Amino acid sequence: MFLLDNQMVREDWNKAKAVVLDLLQKHGAKLKTARRWDERKLAYPIDGRKRATFLLTYAEMENEHLVAFRRDLELNERILRYLMIQVDQVPEGELEKAQAESAADFVVPAPPADDAPDPEKPAPERRPEDDVQVPDLDLMAVEEN
Amino acid sequence: MSSSRRAPAPPISGKNCDEPVLDYKDVDNLRRFLTVHGQILSRKRTGYCAQCQKALKQAVKRARHLSLLPFVG
Repeated sequence: MFLLDNQMVREDWNKAKAVVLDLLQKHGAKLKTARRWDERKLAYPIDGRKRATFLLTYAEMENEHLVAFRRDLELNERILRYLMIQVDQVPEGELEKAQAESAADFVVPAPPADDAPDPEKPAPERRPEDDVQVPDLDLMAVEEN
Repeated sequence: MSSSRRAPAPPISGKNCDEPVLDYKDVDNLRRFLTVHGQILSRKRTGYCAQCQKALKQAVKRARHLSLLPFVG
């Protein structure tokens, strides 16, 4: 799983994806699947970004290439974070989802602005007490006199 | 004399853990096992066996690393 900078995704999703895929290819990985998992608000900011796009890939790589691959990932500023874990096999349905992304009519929605509200969390409803008008105390004192 | 201690709440996972599938990407499911401050609940509250609790810990830590879940708050 890779966290990609939304700025790069806004420019071109395929180029953003290629940044990771090229690195995988450079280090001799055998790519199985790669797809956009989600775009969401981060739980805490990373490198000043509050939102990011998640790229989920499954690939086979020899152990000796891992250190160099990690170093390249760390040096790339467009890859905000990554997580590599060992899995026995590609989960069911993952291939189909990745193939759906490579279809001609597949369109990646443009990521919202960094400060856009989280669609999963709607804005809090306005309470009646928020609309209470606070009287101007100075003006009231003048009227009493 | 009656005890003033409250009965413990039932475990979140149910009576048996039944080898749950805990995935770091399933954030909504993982949130059930966190306190409001983002701390992982104890085995007493989750109802998981040691092995499943360890899987829960691993999944939460992976989700935290990817900023899917907060470390605190």
